[in-house]
This record gives sequence, structure tokens and C-alpha cells, in this order.
Amino acid sequence: MTGEAQPLSTPPSAPADLRARQPKAVHSALAVLEEVARCGAGVTAQQVSENLGMPRATTYRLINLLVQDEYLVRMPDLRGFTLGRKVVELAHLVAPVAPPQAAVAVVDELRAGIRGGVHLVRYEGDRMRVVDVDPDFPLSDSRRLTAELDTSAMGRLLVAELLEQGAPLPPEVRPIVRQSPERLESIRRGVALEGRAWQVDAFTPGFGCLALPIRGPRGELVASLTLSAPRIRIEQPGPVLDQLLDGTRRLAPPPPLTAPRIPLLPRIE
Amino acid sequence: MLSHLEITRPKHGRLAAATCGSYPEAVTAEPATALERAIADPPPVPGIGTRSPVEGLERRTVGFVDVLAQSVSAVAPSAAATTIPLLVAVVAGGGTLWALAVAMVLSLLIAGTVNQFSRRIAATGSLYTYVSRGLGTGAGFVAGTAMLVGYGFIAMFALAGAGYYLAILLGRVWPGAVSSTGLAVAMIAAMALVVVVVIVRGIRLSTRLTLLIETVSVAIILVLVVTLLVNTGGSFEWSALSLAGSTPATFAVGAVLALTAFVGFESSSALGVEARRPFAAVPRAIVWTVIVSGSLYLVATYSQIVGFGALGLDLTASASPVNDLATAYGVEWMGLLLDVSIATSFLACAIASTTALARVLFAMGREGVLPPVLGVTHRRFRTPWVAAAVAVPVVALVPIVSIALGSGLWETMQTLIVVAAAGYITAYVLVCVAAPVFLRRIGELTTGVAVRAVAAAALLSVGLVVYLVVEFAGERWLGALVFVLLMAAGCGYYLVRKRRHPWLLDTIGVYDVPVAGDVLGGGSPG
Repeated sequence: MTGEAQPLSTPPSAPADLRARQPKAVHSALAVLEEVARCGAGVTAQQVSENLGMPRATTYRLINLLVQDEYLVRMPDLRGFTLGRKVVELAHLVAPVAPPQAAVAVVDELRAGIRGGVHLVRYEGDRMRVVDVDPDFPLSDSRRLTAELDTSAMGRLLVAELLEQGAPLPPEVRPIVRQSPERLESIRRGVALEGRAWQVDAFTPGFGCLALPIRGPRGELVASLTLSAPRIRIEQPGPVLDQLLDGTRRLAPPPPLTAPRIPLLPRIE
Repeated sequence: MLSHLEITRPKHGRLAAATCGSYPEAVTAEPATALERAIADPPPVPGIGTRSPVEGLERRTVGFVDVLAQSVSAVAPSAAATTIPLLVAVVAGGGTLWALAVAMVLSLLIAGTVNQFSRRIAATGSLYTYVSRGLGTGAGFVAGTAMLVGYGFIAMFALAGAGYYLAILLGRVWPGAVSSTGLAVAMIAAMALVVVVVIVRGIRLSTRLTLLIETVSVAIILVLVVTLLVNTGGSFEWSALSLAGSTPATFAVGAVLALTAFVGFESSSALGVEARRPFAAVPRAIVWTVIVSGSLYLVATYSQIVGFGALGLDLTASASPVNDLATAYGVEWMGLLLDVSIATSFLACAIASTTALARVLFAMGREGVLPPVLGVTHRRFRTPWVAAAVAVPVVALVPIVSIALGSGLWETMQTLIVVAAAGYITAYVLVCVAAPVFLRRIGELTTGVAVRAVAAAALLSVGLVVYLVVEFAGERWLGALVFVLLMAAGCGYYLVRKRRHPWLLDTIGVYDVPVAGDVLGGGSPG
């Protein structure tokens, strides 16, 4: 994905596109982040100011603001900077994403056949993002959904996955590790047993959410299909569950490209 | 067919993925900028560990309001607003309001300079750590001693003050209370116990408690101020701004005395590790503390001047101006409320100052400057409990011994505040010198910052000399002497310690460093 052939001329053009629409400060802040990303960990404030041709006082003020908001992190030597983990939250800003057409088609088909909201969620490391929200059933509180990973069904899938892998949990869940580790353990056990996560009444009384994992070739969690519906239909989904499971199978990434194609080769010849 | 697919897939990731099935990873487009590439595939960042040298504290947990409460309580604005106007007026005469305004501007100048550090370093050592990072270990240690003296003696002063006002309160029902030495000792000991429990039980408890106390006591002061202003007519009394009866020399001394009403505003920098967003919360708390307390002082002083003026009396002739005013304007019950408010405000000040004191000791323990046991944190409450348990008995014993030896509470307080104020101003001078040096070293010095820091350092140096000379010549010479002796003892200890442990030069000035979880590509997935 890194694309080492990328010409260096692209970075300046990206902020330049923004200039027309965004206030100047936002443009400058993104340019600073871009410059730190380009130079790599340890770049100093002075270097950023020189490379961007921005006045020093302005650059330092911007950098300190970005450090305050944790998009940038000052390195232990106090001179250099690197990107903070919070820049991941900018991902949708710098690269607006939409799921591929084929996935949209599958999800639309499910929506047509199911009464309730069907959403597509994508997971990256310890972060998650709702990439396709059901337009007829908007999310009740998307900020809380992603902040309270141990409460939302889609978040519980991620928590269970990270616990299974023994990977560190994101900072917002860490206090729970100390306060009630048994809560996290029960989430993990629930997902391991049922192969799905759910919650009722946590966001809207009388309603709940059911999240079915979409797994990659190695069984890793890459995405999920979630259904939000009245409580009774979450607790006893009936045939809807089969429809959704079928959806997750159709959305799952194919096994590595080489494997299925080898037997096809003779026929092409 | 196959070769066609293989060539086009990487170039048109999204299109190819859409045609060969709905692979969710195709949700991200091909990264076009360095930032996108870094987010999609974070390069490893070398030099980031998984542990901070100040590990063991409740890292990144308390919010802005708690951080602000720490600084405001350490300043104890409601206690100062009732006592400082009189102290300044005795020296500066008519120029009292101006002296306070000058002190406020100077404090803002210092706050701005301190914030050059607090925006860049998250530490527990407050100005001690900052000066160490700017000027090196020697100057750092002088600042450290000054900070320990400042926080320690202001905590003693506050404990004694709380005892004094509680005695006055009890004196309303039991006239013998004010002169009873045994009662004063018992009250100070009891409050010291409260302080140590609150500090050990967690940073949030101490900041929330002090916030509650300070809010209530500032509200009480404001009610009295408004009552006074309504009773005296309400139009602005321009004569309060006259400089009559003050010379440049007396004005300077008045301004330095007024500065002592602000000291402590920097103490939220001791919560650098525990603040949730330290680089945002600490600088803001420091500046807002100066603004809030300065405004309160100006309003309170104005109302006192106008209040006495309307009565045709002299402010400087009063022993307890606020109580006298309350009586004169027929709101005597407010005097009672005020005594409660001042006593509790002093207690909050003792808690906040000891909170900062314990964290400076904690930093020194972690560095090995002081015995490492001071760097031990409580496993459950995540507080520097050993440092607190060592500091509080000392803080309580000094005023207790002083009154047991026959000195009155009020006289003891007068001496303690001189020691504390000299300690703070010394540390302020050093931090203002250190800021430009530090910024230059990390390559972030700008002209404006340098000019302000140098101006503040020069003004403060003059202020410190004036203050010490005046105090040596006056009744409170003992305080000035104790300060000088303590600083000399601190420097002597440093020289001995440095000769025995030369490695100290490399460890001094510990601060919180980013760990893997804070950094993109810091080792954990994400």
C-alpha cells in the first residue's frame, strides 16, 4: 500500500486543493502534519518552518497547538516531533472513503430485505469506522459509538478481537481494564461463543444492535455488518440472522488471489 | 487476462477491487500524501519506549477544571483579597490599586514565560524541572530549593492561617479560643491530617475539594464587594486611582508585596503528568489563575478603598478592614461568613501547595537527588504518597513549634509568608532566564518571547532585591534570614551530593515522555 513510486511533487498539491475551500489555518495545520509525515519522526520545528516557508512564530504556534490536541507528539529529546496516534482520526478528512460498488450492492440488497438499519463498519488496528450508514436509520450517537467501544455491539467485536490477539486496547477503554476487567472478559467470551456481539438499551431504550464479524483469510476481523432494530429483533433475530450471515460471507475478502487461480490456468491456455 | 489484472490492480486499487469481489480493504483509496501513507502504514518510530520515567502516577487523567483548581487554590485568592489590600496600602499609600495592577501585569509576563515550558514539557517538578532543562543542574537545583521553600512555607503559612481564622471563629462563642496555644496546636495537627489523607487518596479528590472550597469562598467575597459597592452609591470613584502619598520607592515595594498575592499560579505545572491534555490545560490554567485572582484583587481593593473613603476613615488604620467594613455597613453577619471563607480558603491553599510540594519531592526522588523512596507511588491511589507523608509532618511542625515557643499565630504567619514569597520570586527569576536558553537550544526561540522573558527576569531581579532589603530592615527580618539560610543549605547539599554521585548531572529534570500508545507507529497496532 505504501507505493514507493509516489513522486514527491504530490504532497504540496494536496494542501493546495484544500486552500480554496478551507480556512487558511486549517490548511496550514494540515501542511504541517503533512511535512512531519514526509520528513519522518524527529523533524524539528525549525525544519518544518524552513521547508514550508512559513514564518517561524506562526509555525511554532501551530505546532504547539497540534501538540496540545495530540495530533503531533514532541519526542523525548524535546526538539523533534512525530505524528500522534490521534491523526488516525483525520484519516477520513485527508482521504474521504467510500466502500466499493460491489459492497454497496450487497449491503443495499440486505437493506431491501431487512426491516432495521444495516450498517457496514471497517476496523483498522484498534480503531473502527462506520463506512456505510443506513440512510433510512441514521446512527443515534456516532461519537459515543466509537468512543465507548465496550458498549456498542460493533465496538465489542473490536474489543474481543484485540483481547484474543493480546494486542493493547485503545486508550479510551484502558480505564475499564483497571476498574472491571471481568466486563471485558465477558465481552470476549460472548463473541468467542456466539460468533457475534450485541447490545440492547445502551443507546436508545427499547432498541439494540447486533454486529456480525467479516473476517479476512487469516480469520482476522476486517469489517462487520451491524443491524440496529427493536430489542426483540436483536434478542430473537430468527431468519434475519441467516440473511445477515449470508451477507458477511459475500462481503468477506476472497482468499489470496494466487490460490483459486492456479486451477483456472489450464483452461485459459 | 491474468497479466492484465496484475498490472492494473495496484494502479487502480479501487476499481480492480470492485471488479474482483467486494474486498473491504479496498475501502481505502491509494494513499496520495505522506500523511495518508503514514496513517495507512505507520513507519516505526525509534526512541519511543513503553514506560515513562514518571510512571506510577495517574497519567493523563484530570481535566482542565481540576488543573485550574490546583493553581487557583495555591494562590488562595479569597484569603489574599481580604488581607493583601491592607498590606499594600500601608506601604504604597494611594497607589494601592496601581501597585496591584502592575503586579498583575508582571504575573502575566511570568505566566507567559512559564508557559513556554508548560506547553512543551509535562512534568511534576514544576519550575524546578523547567529550570533544570534550561540552565542545567546547578541552576536547576537552586530553583528546586526555592520551589521547595516556596511551596513548603506557603503550606505552613496556610495551615497557620486556617488555624488563626478558625480560632477567631471559635472566639465568637468561646472568648478564650483566640489566645489558647493548645487549641491552635490541636487544630493545626488535625488539619495536617486532613491534608495528608486528601493528598494520598488521589489527585482528583484534592483538586475537586479545593475547587469546591475556593468557588464558595470567592463567591462570598464577591457578595460582600457588591454589597459594599451598592451601599456606597455605585458610580466609579476616580479618586481610588490617584497616586497621592506614594513615591517611586514605596510604589515598587508595594508592587512586590502585591506580587506575593499572586504566587502559586504556576503550581498547576506540577500536574503535567496527571493532566489529561497537559500541553493545553496547564498553560491555560496558569494564565486564567492570574486573570481571575487579579480581577478579584482589583475589585476587592477598589471596594475597600471606596468603602473606607465613604466612611471618612483610613484603610491603613484598620486591623481587619473587611470585618470593619462589614460592621460599618450593617452586614456584620457577613464577617462570620468571611471568617469561614478565609479559614477554608487557607485549608484549600495548604492542600494545593502540599500537592505541588509532594510532586517536586517525587521528581527529586525519581532522579536520585533526594532518597529514591520519595519517588515511590501508591499502588492503588497512584499518588506520590511517601513524599506527601514526609512533607506534611514538617509543614505542620514548623508553625506548631513556633507557637509552642511563644510566638503568636499571626506573627508566625508574617515570618512564614516572607520565606515563601522570596522562594517563589527566586524561582520565577530563574525560570525567566531559563526560558530563552531552553527555546534556543531546541531551536524554537522567537524575538517576542525572548524580550518578554528578559523583561520579566530583570523586573523580578530588582523586585527580589528590593523585597529582601525591605524585609531585612523591617520587623520580619527573621523570615528573610531563614530564606537566605535555607537557600545556602540547599546549595551546600547539592555540592556534596554532586561530588558523591556525579551521575546526577544526567538524571536531573525528569519529565513525562511519550510512550508507544501516544505515537503513530509507536509499536502497538494502529
